[in-house]
Amino acid sequence: MKGHEPSYSMEERRTLPSGEEEFFFDVKTSDLEVNMGPQHPATHGVMRVLIRCDGELVTGAQAHLGYLHRCAEKIGENVEWLQYLPYTDRYDYLAAMNNNLGYSMAVEALMPGFEVPRRAVMLRTICVELNRIASHLVAYGTYGLDIGAITPFLYAFREREWIQALFEKICGARLTYSYIRIGGVFNDAPPGWLTEVGHFCDVFEEKWKEYRDLLALNHIFIKRTANVGVIPKDMAIDFGLTGPMLRGSGVDFDLRRDIPYMAYGEAHEAGAFDVPVGEGEKGELGDCWDRFSVRVQEMMESIKLVRWCLEMIEDGPIIGDVPKVLKVPPGEAYVGIENPRGELGHYVHSDGGKIAVRCRVRGPSFTNLAVIEELMVGTLLADSVAIIGSTDIVVGETDR
Amino acid sequence: MELQAIYDTLTAAKVAGLLGCDEPRPSNKKEKDPGRSGLPFLMVDPAEIVPLLTACRDMPLLQFDLLIDLSAADPAADGEDLWVLIQLLSLKHRHRLAIKACLPKSALIMSSATAVYRAANWHERECSEMFGITFEGHPDPRKILLPDDWDGYPLRKDYEFPTEYHGISCE
Amino acid sequence: MIQEQAQQALSHSVHPGSNVFVRILEWLPLPEWVPGWVIILGGVVMGMSIFLAVMSLIVMFCVWLERKVSGHIQCRTGPMYAGGWHGWAQSIADGVKLLLKEDTIPKDADRALFWIAPAIVLGSIFGAMVAMPLSYDWWFGRMDLGVFAILALSSTTTIGVVMAGWASNSKWSLYGAMREAAQVVAYEIPLGLALLAPLFVLGTFSLNEASAMQSGWFGMKWAIFTNPFLVPAFLIYWIAALAETKRAPFDLPEAESELVAGFLTEYSGIRWSFFFFEEYAAMLLMSVLAAFFWFGGFESPLTGALRASGVEETSLLFSVVCFGTVMIKGFVGIFLMMWLRWTLPRVRIDQVMTMGYKYLTPLALFCVLGAACWEALQHLIFS
Repeated sequence: MKGHEPSYSMEERRTLPSGEEEFFFDVKTSDLEVNMGPQHPATHGVMRVLIRCDGELVTGAQAHLGYLHRCAEKIGENVEWLQYLPYTDRYDYLAAMNNNLGYSMAVEALMPGFEVPRRAVMLRTICVELNRIASHLVAYGTYGLDIGAITPFLYAFREREWIQALFEKICGARLTYSYIRIGGVFNDAPPGWLTEVGHFCDVFEEKWKEYRDLLALNHIFIKRTANVGVIPKDMAIDFGLTGPMLRGSGVDFDLRRDIPYMAYGEAHEAGAFDVPVGEGEKGELGDCWDRFSVRVQEMMESIKLVRWCLEMIEDGPIIGDVPKVLKVPPGEAYVGIENPRGELGHYVHSDGGKIAVRCRVRGPSFTNLAVIEELMVGTLLADSVAIIGSTDIVVGETDR
Repeated sequence: MELQAIYDTLTAAKVAGLLGCDEPRPSNKKEKDPGRSGLPFLMVDPAEIVPLLTACRDMPLLQFDLLIDLSAADPAADGEDLWVLIQLLSLKHRHRLAIKACLPKSALIMSSATAVYRAANWHERECSEMFGITFEGHPDPRKILLPDDWDGYPLRKDYEFPTEYHGISCE
Repeated sequence: MIQEQAQQALSHSVHPGSNVFVRILEWLPLPEWVPGWVIILGGVVMGMSIFLAVMSLIVMFCVWLERKVSGHIQCRTGPMYAGGWHGWAQSIADGVKLLLKEDTIPKDADRALFWIAPAIVLGSIFGAMVAMPLSYDWWFGRMDLGVFAILALSSTTTIGVVMAGWASNSKWSLYGAMREAAQVVAYEIPLGLALLAPLFVLGTFSLNEASAMQSGWFGMKWAIFTNPFLVPAFLIYWIAALAETKRAPFDLPEAESELVAGFLTEYSGIRWSFFFFEEYAAMLLMSVLAAFFWFGGFESPLTGALRASGVEETSLLFSVVCFGTVMIKGFVGIFLMMWLRWTLPRVRIDQVMTMGYKYLTPLALFCVLGAACWEALQHLIFS
């Protein structure tokens, strides 16, 4: 393995820009410092990136976070186990089901011998995968917006709307679900719900091809994203990237397959899903297009998983024997799951009481965002927007 | 690889700073031991964290190439220690390692892991503003989530909530 | 008598027909003692009002159209409530809202420039539109060098945009202004060169004459059918026109995801709407220019049929048909621009520059050369 010195350097990246080489032999002018954010369309929320520009060329970038810091971890130490669940909805508000799942699984890891009922596992998987599709649809749409294509965003939201309607039917909420509870799920699927999910899968498969052709294979889009914001494999690993960011750089790793939890191991053995990995199809491996493409392909894999769950689901209880006021045995556990953006980890520490001693949230957006400071240097202003967009952050999660 | 095997591998390589394993155990009512549930941790000496992490990363049997998380915990307000918690992940061997280092509250200094994993950068910044731990050798020791003029370390158990911030009442 | 003098003073002696201003004055029963300059002034004022009203209506229709087109492209319906039928009054409601909105000027802005910039933008684009005839018989200002006037005045808007970006005292605005300047400078050249090709074919700078030149073949002797080099020339013209009017995929000066709103960032209310007006007016102008020099101008089989049935070119019916034809052609162009905008992502500034200087300019030169050679060959063979 490599030594302490990374194999890529700032100088090299500066001379290998996405744009034309002429930009580097321009007339020398003084640099301009611009605040991109906290309210800027490209930052997907309230994040601030302080960029130093030489004309259109970005010569330095510094991310400033914390505008959406809501003390989630401190709140976790002050409310009861179950009461904290709605707060988990709020960090990655585009994938609230996944956050519920991560927290529930962390608490369940503290309860020795506790087994989640089979039907609950299947319902959890269906919801989590549908939520992953919804989240990736937002990523797809907003990335289009970043690049300047407005229409795909509205197409993506049409299908996302359907997923939200499905969630509304099963748990009554459209964005912050609190559906996956400690021990199982909150509500059984209403009659006909599973059939509608199957119908959604059929329709979405057709639409998905359209979406891919509309944006991912658009010539201008490829010109704007290929060879931009290249993260080499070793850099991705060094920065601790996870999820589509890591897979976009060609690292074949997915927690669902490689450290399986719930029914994912079984599903993978049954061939229910594959892990899409960036291949550098349109440019250098690990560029913005690869990351985008991984997300687009993952939507289809999630559809396959949902279909598999629909086949495997059977009747039974939907929640284990969990008391209303939960007292978790003393102990500590770290559980990481594959969120649409990467590894969402929860470290929970219980002293046997009704309230956690420590509730640490490891948000994937936070770690994935760290890479942009380096990536943006030496690119054009428009590329830096493409790079921020390709990290697909949710500011609610970077700041928690 | 299970934690015990990882521990044995590290011991065999004579890596410094290993203090043992913190394994879950069942409760024992006779000895009034409430037991410990959850997942196992590797206990290490915070002073030796950098060589240990380097060994974890570079040993072919372990190859923990991703630093997933670095955070801390304050288990008790009257306790003497803070825990520094590190989560590692191996892409090749597909195993995880949870590391726990007890840092005395009287001397909250340890060396930065950024030299080993660049992923530690932002995690350490968050950790130091929330718990007051100083990471020696950190390239950019600014606050990250909190405002620059924030007093105190909010995630410590002895933290007192401020009554006002810049003239805005918080009560 | 006096009216004749006024007509002489305003209209061009070479061409038949008369200025719309004078036409109105002829229609008014004015007493004999009114001095000539009053009539001219009155004519100008009335003509200007009519001109502004007509152009504003067209632009408002464009705004409504854009919303409907974008809506239907995006699986939405667009405005549906204002006015009842498919939200036809949406633009009027928007206009009222923009008029009533607070007009803010940033604290450290250069107030004078901030005020003047929208006026320059709007004034120059409307000035350019004066050179646009509405039919063979209806026109505001007939010019032999109509194309030059339109190109010159429409690119003056850039000065207003740069002024707005500078005066706003915002970095994003400045970026937008600089991009606009760079982009317009880069695309003026291929735009002008691409226009040269049909100018060779038609042999005139006047829009009316250009249209008249294409009246053969029962109204279908459009320039684009007579010379194969005009097809690539039109494509180049169209791309350059998109860049000139700051329309997607060349909307870099506004680039809402990169520069917030570019040079428009600090503008609000009616001042902001002036820039908006300019954009749609420029779209119309560019489309109509394309119609005149490639697609027959006023000419269509309908005008051919009217001619064949002996309808006078100066008659009202003929003028209405001409006006309708050119507007339909213009709106087809505008629809095309909207379609492109709601379909394509935005290109990057270096790609814009590369395309303008490295590809479009040499290609446009080639088209001019080709068109000229083709014309010369035709001349040699058929004469």
